[in-house]
Amino acid sequence: MRTPLINALVCLAVVVAHTTLTKFIIIGGIVPDIPLIAVVYLALRRGQVAGTAAGFGMGLALDLLSGADGMLGLSALAKTTAGFIAGYFYNENKMNQTLGGYQFVIVVAFASAVHNLLYFLVYLQGSGLSWTMGLLRYGLPTTVYTAAVSVLPMFVSARKDFAQA
Amino acid sequence: MLKRAYDIVSHLKEYVVFAFLLVVSVLLLTLNDSRQIRTIRSLTVISLGFLQDTFGFIPDYLNLQSENRILREMNITLADEVSRLREARLENIRLRQLLGWEGREKYDYVSARIVGKTLLLMRNAITLDVGSNAGVDTDMPIVTDRGLVGRVRATSSAYSIGQILLNREIRVSAKVQRTRVDGIVRWEGGDNLSLTNVARTLDVKQGDVIITSEYSSLFPPGIRIGTVVRTTPLAGSLFQRIDIAPSVDFARLEEVFVLLYRPDTARVSLEPRGTIER
Repeated sequence: MRTPLINALVCLAVVVAHTTLTKFIIIGGIVPDIPLIAVVYLALRRGQVAGTAAGFGMGLALDLLSGADGMLGLSALAKTTAGFIAGYFYNENKMNQTLGGYQFVIVVAFASAVHNLLYFLVYLQGSGLSWTMGLLRYGLPTTVYTAAVSVLPMFVSARKDFAQA
Repeated sequence: MLKRAYDIVSHLKEYVVFAFLLVVSVLLLTLNDSRQIRTIRSLTVISLGFLQDTFGFIPDYLNLQSENRILREMNITLADEVSRLREARLENIRLRQLLGWEGREKYDYVSARIVGKTLLLMRNAITLDVGSNAGVDTDMPIVTDRGLVGRVRATSSAYSIGQILLNREIRVSAKVQRTRVDGIVRWEGGDNLSLTNVARTLDVKQGDVIITSEYSSLFPPGIRIGTVVRTTPLAGSLFQRIDIAPSVDFARLEEVFVLLYRPDTARVSLEPRGTIER
């Protein structure tokens, strides 16, 4: 019972931090998807179910904070899928190596790419806007920026691992 | 039998959870703006808005210096403009008295601090620290001294969510201040806005100021939106593409005003949603 509660609190803290600290991390209108990094981290640390549930929870919170734009459930859908996919890389025996190694960044980049593909596929439907434009102007830079930022938690995990050893 | 079903479910629990949450997400996409959803949104805005407000004290030291410089420059420009406007105002009053013409309507406003920004993958929204207790309601315009920011899309008692102009959901009836040419302002991605539905023969030039028009039922007329940066005739079309640089710097936005402006209900009911650009 304690672990899901801790996971939920972590998710809440990440969403609040993401929306409050945007002004510090925005570059050219692109913001790293910090909730997605947390989703991948939880999926690799606690497993596929935890990652999927965290993705849904954080996606829904972001949807609700986006106002009534007719797209409630879209972030939830994309992040749930990203969490589920990231969960495939969960390995209880190699957890520390995955979280503290370059594999973490690769999984974040992969999950982010799938997330953005799915997101824009639904979001730009019927809008008259180009899917390629959405992906090239926002999807790809967001994936790169998110993967770059995910180096930080990777280093923290590696350091923690080193200290324990 | 039940035990077997339970075994299967627990064996495939990852897939069951994933499928269940996917179904919920898709259901939410179809339900969207029902009364229950509005209640959940309101509760989320209250709780997350409170947390964002609590942690929003962290100042942006990196931008303070450049912001100070911009404000000083703006102060000089505005002081000069105020003295000229004062003269124009007196002249305006005299002319209005001569013509017997009533002036433009004045609106009340509430100042608000931005406590959260949800800027993710083209869905740009802001959380404001004012809500229905301060008289803020859905669809009210959000502005700054520089121009139009967006509109309120959801409110709770103490917080509200606003959609900024850089959001594909927003369309604003607008006009070119110099030539009174009408069009629709929308965002198609990127840093600029677009003025659409303008015939290529109409007079629009680089540097023209774009303002909200009287045709908008959501925004009062005369609010500055931006400046034309480029006009390009569309090949094989009767229209031209007009790029507008927004007056408001959305990246640096910290304080805004909510205009306590309610659209004319008789007019809105006559112009059904979806058929008229607002």
